[in-house]
Amino acid sequence: MPVLSRNNVQISGDGDQPMMFAHGFGCDQNMWRFVAPEFEAGYKVVLFDHVGAGRSDLSAYNPQKYATLQGYADDVIEICRELGLTRVIFVGHSVSAMIGALASVKAPELFESLVMVGPSPRYIDDTGYTGGFSAAQIDELLHSLADNHMGWSAAMAPAIMGNPDRPELAEELTDSFCRTDPDIAREFARVTFTSDNRADLSRIKARTLVLQCANDIIAAEQVGEYVHAQVPDSKLVYLEASGHCPNLSAPDEVIAAIRDFA
Amino acid sequence: MIHPGEGKAEQVEDLNDLYENAPCGYLSLNPQGLIVKSNATLSSWLGLPADRLLGKRLRDLLNVAGSIFYETHFAPLLRMQGFFNEVALDLVTADGTVLPVLANAVEKRDAAGALIFTRVTLFQATKRRRYERELVDAQEAERKLGKLRDQFIAVLGHDLRNPVAALNAGAQMLLKEPQSDRSLHIIGLMQGSLARVSELIDNVMDLARSQSGGGIRLSRDAKEPLEPVLRQVVEELEAAYPECPLEAAISLSGPVDCDRRRIAQLVSNLLSNAITHGDPGQPVRLHAGTGDGELLLWVANRGEPIPEEVMEHLFQPFFRGSTRSDQQGLGLGLHIAAEIARAHGGTLDVRSDDGEVRFTFRMPLAPPVS
Repeated sequence: MPVLSRNNVQISGDGDQPMMFAHGFGCDQNMWRFVAPEFEAGYKVVLFDHVGAGRSDLSAYNPQKYATLQGYADDVIEICRELGLTRVIFVGHSVSAMIGALASVKAPELFESLVMVGPSPRYIDDTGYTGGFSAAQIDELLHSLADNHMGWSAAMAPAIMGNPDRPELAEELTDSFCRTDPDIAREFARVTFTSDNRADLSRIKARTLVLQCANDIIAAEQVGEYVHAQVPDSKLVYLEASGHCPNLSAPDEVIAAIRDFA
Repeated sequence: MIHPGEGKAEQVEDLNDLYENAPCGYLSLNPQGLIVKSNATLSSWLGLPADRLLGKRLRDLLNVAGSIFYETHFAPLLRMQGFFNEVALDLVTADGTVLPVLANAVEKRDAAGALIFTRVTLFQATKRRRYERELVDAQEAERKLGKLRDQFIAVLGHDLRNPVAALNAGAQMLLKEPQSDRSLHIIGLMQGSLARVSELIDNVMDLARSQSGGGIRLSRDAKEPLEPVLRQVVEELEAAYPECPLEAAISLSGPVDCDRRRIAQLVSNLLSNAITHGDPGQPVRLHAGTGDGELLLWVANRGEPIPEEVMEHLFQPFFRGSTRSDQQGLGLGLHIAAEIARAHGGTLDVRSDDGEVRFTFRMPLAPPVS
């Protein structure tokens, strides 16, 4: 399976040092459309879709391989090796922050820095740890996905149709969301929201930037602070942006923070 | 009869009342996403007075699953395109019950493009959601059943082929040894039956393949002549049904760009059908010719006309019409023949009149230029 088509890898920019952007759960590489182009001057910008999302090769989905985040992390490593990338600045949103962390632990020679946007090593509360959700709540999420495809496909399509001002945007979103395979999205949700990668944080060698949003129910402030405390060479920056997707809602703030760090 | 209000001045619509008691819920969010205004209709749905909604976020009104979904999907969408429409959400009311709604939202921005409000309209959608869930469940059940059926057919077909091949080999071996005339006759009948079983298996396998996607696959060949293949089919059927006269008129002016094995299968299926359903003892006729850039092939038998209501189902899989009890078959032959015709960019039609039933296959001699 050719790695680059499997993950719909897109390369742009005029620089030598690679900056690789990874999307989280719920979207595809379009998530970076307001941020990534800003780094084309000075960096080799690498965008890709996780298998199952966007324009990735759905036939490459293997339930065993992708039953843990390590399967996704292995894809990241394969992409880097295929392209001969080193000194990678890996920018991961949401669950991809952890996917990048796992990749950098397994292949530390490839990664210079990690930028974690809204990371969470574990979503479910545990003794002495607040992830933000109870096990029952995550169960409810996974059940509602298992019971109900509407939220994932049928209800998405009308939501993203028609945008007179920017038709190309609507088209991209339609493509992107409609192409998300509901069965894979459901599995990805399970793998994401039941993951526990707390023990991996202290093994990260790459210098790390944690970007923490305000009012992010998915990755709350104490979670970002936990990540910062566990990752040895890390810096924590609080964004003014609220919600879980600052790369869309406050791209300028995200760009400035990455520039500052890189 | 006097209607109340008649003759009085027309009432002016009270816009404040329209807002408060509209047949839908209203919410306005400030740029930070906090609720700054809501209407009485929404309060009554939620069982929460308006002042208890102030300062909450939209996601606070949702169940956990919905709020995660909202944050990962719809909130970004709203920021990217300035609105969303017909989003399915589950509100949680004061007593904990779930209220399915459809939501539209639009951002209100000032002249400089800064966000002032996000306005959200909510419509109750309990019945619609239930209906949609039933549809999804039914679809899922159908999908599972279809998958199981395809697997079943594929496995069955595969497992049947091996013993049939063994029986064929055994019959061949027996023919090499001295046999009585009676034994030779019986072995011949057995071989005919085995050929028939093989054909049934092929049809079932083709059905499974064509239904699990992609239709029937062809391996076309424009060089080899088609005529010998057709003659062989005729000979095989003559051997299998010696009591039924076959009249074949084959005149092909050149090679035909087709999958010859498939065309042979089509002709074999049509002839078997004609022999099975035609008047006993009456000839079955096959015509094959080329002209006007197409291959024209028909098979005709004498017999009762096919009723109109039967005609429309003839090409459906497993359709058996009013077959006599002594006739075997799964009702796949005509379906597979039609699929083969379609795969060649051709057509298979049936006509029934004047005591004759005629199936006509036409296909272009050269495949369409793509």
